[in-house]
Formats: sequence, structure tokens, C-alpha cells
Amino acid sequence: MKVLILGYRGNPYCGGQGIYIYNLSRELARLGVEVDVMVGPPYPDPLEEWATVHKIENLNIWSIKTKDIPLEKLKRVLSPWNFIDFVMTRLHFFPEMETFSFRSFFALKKLLKTKSYDIIHDIQSLGWGTIPMKGYGIPIITTVHHPLTKDRDADLTNNFGLWDKITTILFYPLVMQAVVIRRLDRVITSFKEGVDELHNAFRVKKDKVSVVYNGMDVEVFRNTGEKREENALLFVGNTEDSKKGLTYLLEALKLLPEEVTLTIVDDGPPKKLTAWDMIKKMGLEKRVIFTGKLSYDALVSIYSRKTILVMSSLFEGFGLPAVEAMSCKTPVVSTTSGALKEVVSPECGILVPPKDPAALKNGIEKLLADKKLRDSMGEKGRKWAVDNFSWPVAAANTLEVYKQVVDEYRRGS
Amino acid sequence: MPRAKIWGFLAVSAALSLFVFFLYSVFYINLNDFSLFVNSDLNELSSLTYYSAAAPILFAAYSVIGTGLWIGWTILTIKVVPPMPEIVEKKDNSKIKAFFLCIAMLLLAGMLGYGVYIRSFWALAIPALVISAVVLGAVFWVGLAIITTRATLPVNDK
Repeated sequence: MKVLILGYRGNPYCGGQGIYIYNLSRELARLGVEVDVMVGPPYPDPLEEWATVHKIENLNIWSIKTKDIPLEKLKRVLSPWNFIDFVMTRLHFFPEMETFSFRSFFALKKLLKTKSYDIIHDIQSLGWGTIPMKGYGIPIITTVHHPLTKDRDADLTNNFGLWDKITTILFYPLVMQAVVIRRLDRVITSFKEGVDELHNAFRVKKDKVSVVYNGMDVEVFRNTGEKREENALLFVGNTEDSKKGLTYLLEALKLLPEEVTLTIVDDGPPKKLTAWDMIKKMGLEKRVIFTGKLSYDALVSIYSRKTILVMSSLFEGFGLPAVEAMSCKTPVVSTTSGALKEVVSPECGILVPPKDPAALKNGIEKLLADKKLRDSMGEKGRKWAVDNFSWPVAAANTLEVYKQVVDEYRRGS
Repeated sequence: MPRAKIWGFLAVSAALSLFVFFLYSVFYINLNDFSLFVNSDLNELSSLTYYSAAAPILFAAYSVIGTGLWIGWTILTIKVVPPMPEIVEKKDNSKIKAFFLCIAMLLLAGMLGYGVYIRSFWALAIPALVISAVVLGAVFWVGLAIITTRATLPVNDK
């Protein structure tokens, strides 16, 4: 099996897409798949050990003011695709996916003179250029963890004023994604409810969607054996993202005894102020601390030391922190939103309805009061994570989808 | 032949035919009158020639107006509630503004369509000016940024 993976951003150290490409390509290669990766910047440096990397240009100038664009990039702005990128970013569009798809369409034309592929796996770019790519006679599938409509709606809840809303609507290329996704041979999503989500957002036929749980590195995320702290809650996630439902967790914290503290793995003030403003409003300054961004080692250590991980999300396309915590034998209190009700088994954590601070507080209280239950959930959580969410499992399941799609495609044509 | 290849052939044929049609309707049938230095009255042009030239401008203008309408409509119709309404202090009146945005876009679309229909020069000139201003403005902005960006470190006097 020869596969070409397309991703408009490939850095394995930031953003889910880069991590996904890095781990999936490595595990697919271990399964004997010949993997090529066509990827935009930031580029994935260490992939060459197991995959052939084809780099696609992009200036990544979204959110950079023209006067702040480095001279090296400015000199390249006047080439056709970069110019389109430049004009569209100045008009508040996010054209990276669109131009990546066209650039890769033309790059693939050259590549196909010397190479062949059984399948093309697009990672959530869904640009217009993916449609003509079908003309190369290779089945194309995509992975969409959750439709961007969820992100846009969450952003719109935080926008005040017409201009903020206009820029948010322009930013998300939903029309393009809706048109493109319906024309692909298969869509992979990471949770069962995602099938309905994609159908509702983009009218994707349900029988064209396959569920493959995401993977995570169960070897890296292992309990370190450090002593567990008592009454120490942990939240891992972007505090500026209203989908994370941090406000509800803070409300729950306010209802809990004074000795219960919360550690947030994200930047606090002065870099990020949204969460800090809420904390001040609720008078929780002495009970909440921010760690800033952490290295993998520090993250594993904090998972292993804190009493409970809390996921207060209003929507999750996967819920990576919950799986990482379970893998480190840390019990989870989580909402039932999105993928979380599938990812967090009731044996490994307590599930509560979203947007309900009282339910969140009750779940946390129950676990804090029962060490035996916490230990038991921690042990079961590790096994659950290894059995269901390791990268080898995710890659094997993805390969199964490849085989089905290639088979159907060959029978169809 | 695979279906995708058929689409490829259709795309190539459509692009070529439209371009040939454009050359025919704008230039070929007016070849005898062709001169860069003689006034042309829009009303004297044949409908085919006039609409061949107006259509690309109209398409670009309606794309922009359509985007504005879509944005206004999205803001008007989307149901989003702030996560904690009780701690949101500011009052948001963007729905009212979005309503007026939709009205403005519809009016603009009507005016443009009518202007093109009665062959008003300004109905073509104003959208062309806006499109040119965006492209030329972008080139200008890049050029200015290149001129004003320091390429080398300043001389260290010490």
C-alpha cells in the first residue's frame, strides 16, 4: 500500500494536525505502508526516517501585519499563490487550506510522473484544489476530527460587535469545506457522534464516514510514580477557547471547599487574560495557578501528581487531555459533550452533563472523597487508553479504512 | 473513461470555449471599429459585446456583494449564546447592524444590476475601480513594506 498524506501544517510540536501526521505516518510505516507526506510549513523535521516528505511553500502570514512580515517573506509575496494568500489574509480570510490544496494539486502532477499512490489522505484541509485532484484517478479520503462550524460558533459566542463577527465568519472557509468534503471518497472522524456532526454541518452522507479513534503516545504518557497531591484539580487546554467551558469549571470550583485548588496548563496573565478576568471576577485568585506551556516530560509529571483531571468542555472532537490523563492513571471528571462520552469510559472517570457547574462539583467531590475509587479508576484508565487509543491501534484501523476505500474504488472504476 | 477525467475534459473545453467566445464577441465582431483612440458609446455596442465585457465585472462585484449578504445573514440567523450570560456586561447590537448590512447589500445588488441593464458606464467603472484598488493596493502595500523594512543591521558606531 502506498499512501500520500496531505497536511497544510506539519510541525509535530504544535497543533493537532502536525502531531497526527507525525504519529500516523510513523505507525503506518511500521505496518509496511509506503508513506509520502506532502506538507506545508512549519515542516516536520524528523519524518524522513520513515516517510518521504514533499515540502509545499506557504508564507504563514495570517495574523501578521504587513509591516511586520520579515523581508525574506515579503520578497516572495509577489509570486502568484503567495500573492493570493497575501490579498486574502489582508481581507481577513484564512486561505492557507485553499492555496495549499492548489499548490499540492500542481506538485502532485509533477510527482506522479515518477511515483504512484493507492490512496491520498488529506488531513482536514479540504481546499478547492482537492476536487480537481480526483482527476488523477486516485481515491481521496480526509480526516476531520470535528467540523469547523463548531469552532466558528464558539468564536461567535465570544465576539461582540459587528466587525468581530464579520472577521470570524470570513476566517472559516466553511462553504469550501462543505462543497469539497461531499466529493471525497471517505471521511474519517474520531468519534461516533462525529458522524452526525458532519452530516448536520456539511450534509455528508453518513455511510461515507468511518470512525477511527485518534491515537496518543502511551509510552510517553506513563505514570511517573511521583506522590499524588490531594485536592488538586487539573485543567489542560486553551483557556481562550470557549468550547473548553472553563467558566463552568470555575463556577464549580467556587462551590467546592477552599482547600481544593486548580492548576491550569496554559498561559495565564499577561499573555492570556480571558481566564484570569473570570477568575478575578469570581474571587478565585488564590486557588488557581497557571503553569504556562509545558514540555512533554513536565506534562506527564503533572498528570501523575494531580488528583483529578477535569474536562469541562462544551464540545470535543476527541479530548486528548482526558486520554493522556487516563494513560497516566489519573481519574477524570468530564462532561458528556462530543467525543468525551466515548473517550472516557464510566469505569475510568465520572461523566456529567455539560454546562452544569453543580453536576461538575458533585462529580469532583465524589472522587476527591474516595481514594480507593480514584486508584481503581486510574488503573482501569491506563488499560482503556492502551487498548483503544494508542497510535498502533489508530494506524491499524486507518489502514483498514484505506483498504476498504481502495477496494471500493477499484470495483467502482 | 473515468468520471474525473470527463470533468477534466469538460473544464478544459468550457474554459477554451468561453475564452474564444469572449474574443469573438468583444473583438472579432467589432474588428472594423477597433481603435484605442476613438470614443465608444456603450449604447451603440451590440448586446453580445456589451454583456461579454460586463459579465466578468458583474461576476466579481456580485461575489463581493454575495459575501457581504452571506455574512449579514449568518449573523442574523445564527443561534449562539454566551457561555455565561450573567457575566457578560456588554450589550451586543450586531444583529441590528447585520440586518442593515443585508439591506445595503440587496440595494447595492439591485442598483448594480439595473445600472448594467441600462448600460451605465459607472455601473461597470465603480466595481472595476474597487477591484483594481484592492489588487494595486496590495502591490503598493507590499512594495512599501519592502522599501521601509530594514534589510541589514544598523552600523555599530562603537
